[in-house]
Amino acid sequence: MIRDITLGQYYPGYSVIHKLDPRMKIIVTMFYIASLFIIEDFYGYVLIVLAVAAITAVSRVPVRFMLRGLKPVMIIILFTFVLNMLMTPGTILWQWKFIKITEEGLYNAVYLALRLILLIIGSSLLTLTTKPMKLTDGIESLLKPFKKLGLPAHELAMMMTIALRFIPTLLEETDKIMKAQQARGADFESGGLLKRAKALIPLLVPLFVGAFRIAQELAMAMEARCYRGGEGRTKLNALKFRRRDAVAVLLTAAYIGILIAERVLL
Amino acid sequence: MIRVENLTHVYNKGLAYETKAVDDVSFTVEDGAFIGIIGHTGSGKSTLIQHLNGILKPDSGKIFVDDIEITNKKTKMAEIRKKVGLVFQYPEYQLFEETVYKDIAFGPKNLGLSDDEVDFRVKEAMALVNISFDEFAERSPFELSGGQKRRVAIAGVIAMKPAVLILDEPSAGLDPKAHTDILNMISMIRKQTGNTIILVSHNMGDIAQLSDLVFVMDHGKLASAGPPSEVFADTAFLQGIGLGLPPATEMAHYLAARGCAADNIILTRDELVDFLAETFGSGGEAK
Ligand SMILES: Nc1ncnc2c1ncn2[C@@H]1O[C@H](COP(=O)(O)OP(=O)(O)OP(=O)(O)O)[C@@H](O)[C@H]1O
Ligand SMILES: [Mg+2]
Repeated sequence: MIRDITLGQYYPGYSVIHKLDPRMKIIVTMFYIASLFIIEDFYGYVLIVLAVAAITAVSRVPVRFMLRGLKPVMIIILFTFVLNMLMTPGTILWQWKFIKITEEGLYNAVYLALRLILLIIGSSLLTLTTKPMKLTDGIESLLKPFKKLGLPAHELAMMMTIALRFIPTLLEETDKIMKAQQARGADFESGGLLKRAKALIPLLVPLFVGAFRIAQELAMAMEARCYRGGEGRTKLNALKFRRRDAVAVLLTAAYIGILIAERVLL
Repeated sequence: MIRVENLTHVYNKGLAYETKAVDDVSFTVEDGAFIGIIGHTGSGKSTLIQHLNGILKPDSGKIFVDDIEITNKKTKMAEIRKKVGLVFQYPEYQLFEETVYKDIAFGPKNLGLSDDEVDFRVKEAMALVNISFDEFAERSPFELSGGQKRRVAIAGVIAMKPAVLILDEPSAGLDPKAHTDILNMISMIRKQTGNTIILVSHNMGDIAQLSDLVFVMDHGKLASAGPPSEVFADTAFLQGIGLGLPPATEMAHYLAARGCAADNIILTRDELVDFLAETFGSGGEAK
């Protein structure tokens, strides 16, 4: 079903990870992504997998739920895996006609696939444990310094908030319209490309009409509550940097330190 | 005939927020019956009826339509959609064609009917929902009023000529006149086609007036089933699960409290008027 898409979804919970300051979580995630490119060898990957496993355990997000986020990108991962395996020159391990697998290729392929998987799991940890509203609050706050350069930080964050807020609504709408058209005998699943594209019209037209209706209603509701952009707005729940955030920063620093040490020393 | 056996449907199975929307429900609907389904918000009415034409698949349990097991994977869904027509809550949001005519023709065309047959059915359906062909056939469905849109959407399902017509709160959000229009339309469709009709509604008055049999849903379970005269006799039970009485029945209760009780349960406005006329009118005498 269309509702199974988990990318960017929030998994409700009350763990320490859930409670951390979103600004810090965003920055830590960036460091984490960078760290994926520091390491080169087996022990480095072991360290990262351990770190991710530890954070997942603390956050209490079910592993099954996290792995579901990988499903949509599995094809890309497989593709890079196969391509790397076959295209890297080096010592030949196995050969059949013009297809050859090299030792270097195999290493490359495994490492790259692992990197991609860790990248997605790491960033879904951020979205799974952070409410969309907090996430955009964090982004807005982090973008504030760029306001002087003319970057509309608040407006960008508001746009993101609204977009995130309406993803589930639009998915629900899609689901409903699809069912209603199926009840009228519409068939979204069979036929050639052209036929399938045509079959989408009864879905897309009502969806767009609905999206515009929702947008208009939202704009009116916001104006009715005197929304007029970011100037002089204060927050009900201002972001606060707490002790647990400091601990997280220290842990991240230690993590990066260990990874660099591992690379330099081993 | 529709037979439902131990139907259970769980949304978001296995997740922290899974909901058992329909819980071990069994019932039978005879041909030509008028079934009313009531239940509080979120009691699983919409989920239940979406199983009856195979739009939703149950987590467990079986459904038979005319002895075809529709929960069987091999069953052709097109056959079932032809037999069981489903009008969703707020059906006007499914309109998409350039003209009213084309929109109503969408369903019959999907059934693979000839152009002549489609044309005939569209005209017939428009007459049944009381939308004038000459005036509206070539108009855009997006230009119509809410009530008109709703009727066009209903026509789109009727034009498929299902033997069973299921309507999910067809009069929700309409003004009193549009509401009455829709109800009259349903009675009319029943009279002319002899269809089995399943009506989901929060309006107890409508249910009491139209149904042969009332199903009461509560937290996914079928809490009670019977003719309106039985279901609406148990006031305490209904109020306990967040439901009320038909207005006429409620009125009769007030009258009874003032010492003017009727012998039989009163369900509709006509019955109430008859009772009052008999008791206080020129023919009768005050008790
Ligand atoms: N697509 C869905 N995904 C997840 N949960 C759902 C979905 N649809 C309904 N539910 C849940 O299932 C339960 C039953 O919903 P359903 O729509 O069947 O109720 P209903 O009786 O039709 O209510 P209403 O009178 O408001 O229309 C509710 O708790 C609802 O939150
Ligand atoms: Mg409903």
